[in-house]
Amino acid sequence: MSPTSTSRARSKELLAVEVLLPENHEIKNLRSIKPFVSSLFPTVKVEMRPSIGEQVEDEQMEAVASSLASARVKDPTRSEQDFEPMYGELDYERRVLEGEARAGGILYDGRILEDIFSKILRPKVDRASIVLTDRLVSTFSRDDLRHHLRTIVCGFPSIVSLPGIVEAPAKPREYYLIKQKLELQGAGELRIEQLKSSFKGRFLDYDDARTIEVVKGLVFQAVMFHLTLEPFCEKRGCRLFNAHWQEDLIRSQITSAKLCKDHTRQLKALSSCPSIAW
Amino acid sequence: MPIFEKSSESSVTRAIISQFAKDMDGFADTDVIIIGGGPSGLMAARDLALKKVRVLVVERNNYLGGGFWIGGFLMNTITIRAPAQKVLDELGVKYKMYEKGLYMTPGPLACSKLISAACEAGVSILNMASFDDVVLREKNRVAGAVVNWTPVGALPRNITCVDPVALESKLIIDATGHEATVVRKLEERGLIKVPGFGAMWVEKSEDAVVEHTGFCHPGLIVTGMAVSTTFGLPRMGPTFGSMLLSGRRGADVAYKYLKGKK
Ligand SMILES: [Zn+2]
Repeated sequence: MSPTSTSRARSKELLAVEVLLPENHEIKNLRSIKPFVSSLFPTVKVEMRPSIGEQVEDEQMEAVASSLASARVKDPTRSEQDFEPMYGELDYERRVLEGEARAGGILYDGRILEDIFSKILRPKVDRASIVLTDRLVSTFSRDDLRHHLRTIVCGFPSIVSLPGIVEAPAKPREYYLIKQKLELQGAGELRIEQLKSSFKGRFLDYDDARTIEVVKGLVFQAVMFHLTLEPFCEKRGCRLFNAHWQEDLIRSQITSAKLCKDHTRQLKALSSCPSIAW
Repeated sequence: MPIFEKSSESSVTRAIISQFAKDMDGFADTDVIIIGGGPSGLMAARDLALKKVRVLVVERNNYLGGGFWIGGFLMNTITIRAPAQKVLDELGVKYKMYEKGLYMTPGPLACSKLISAACEAGVSILNMASFDDVVLREKNRVAGAVVNWTPVGALPRNITCVDPVALESKLIIDATGHEATVVRKLEERGLIKVPGFGAMWVEKSEDAVVEHTGFCHPGLIVTGMAVSTTFGLPRMGPTFGSMLLSGRRGADVAYKYLKGKK
């Protein structure tokens, strides 16, 4: 059954949440997502599953590698990309799927990834599928006609981009100003590292231990999307706030890490009966 | 007593010419030609030569090393991220830890050691020579490079009658940095399509540079920043660690191919 064509499913209840682990097997504490989701939705079964590549059957490997290679965003100013994947790109995608190459550093169209993952996972209405990925993910914005990096792309399945947590929400404006100046002067990695440390705490960098808290919050947003189709909150202190700035992300997911009054009430109801509202 | 032994000017000239003629005779047909003698090209050259592969590096400047001599801000401290410091260990380059996983070393030290390692491994070098065109064989496989002396490019148009020479090889490695000169030449000929600029800036995409190192066309391997241009990867600042590891991977891919051919 397609999740988008189910007006009959009004009385459906969410039975399971499946979280697919990212490709690079690096962040160890991801397993703590399971008790976190269970604590929010005690009636729902939470499964942590191996990465998307391990869900692809051998005979599908070539086709999936080819669609992934075609899902790349090479020109962020175009909503649709028009290119033939190169041999090296197909080979790379196959190696990532087989766990022989590291994912990361390539930008993919989140909506196309959703389609590809959906064919592999065949999501069900009563099961929320959430793919954690080490890929960079963007979606095209009609507002300014360009692709923007995302932390989360809500859908069936929802996609949470782990490098997106570092790369997508904007850092403080002063950081970019100083960084740009340094780059114009040809400053190297060392100066950039020093600059980063002078902004310590104001944005998340790679290997930050607090990242797991953000991942949990994004997984929560994905579950809320599956239940209500409205995953985000307007209030900056709420864990459902869709942060576009690092400082907001840190506040909503780490410093405050709470729900606003309305969402606390909503979660209380959903906790005992996670009914799907669409 | 004079300090130096006597030798005639003509002997000096003959020594230079005879050795050069011998070298060029070898260059005319070799296993791998690497275009660009920066960190990724030298790394690939050294690793291949250590495995008894005949390698020629074509460098357009008189000096080798590319951007490896200086780090950022024209200051000569080079930073290397783990695990690339292991390459420094192999080359015998001393370094200091800046913070966990980030190491630093003087550029002149790392660069000169890398050049020396490549030369000692048996790499041949043709410097002050520029890549001009590719040699193509059946099914447009790249099978060599056409090169010319770099100063010829600076001559007025009406006297550019200095014809280049063609050097044959089993493989070419494009290690020409952001310019991706060899790949661009294939693009001019309509054999490959390189994405335009405009890729996003990200903090980190060095994994992708290393992982995409390899064949981009039959007979042609790309390494280093040329990988970034060829595949339109997100842009990032220079990271020398990824250049070294990309060169190493390029050598692995080339070696496997050459072994498979035998
Ligand atoms: Zn709220």
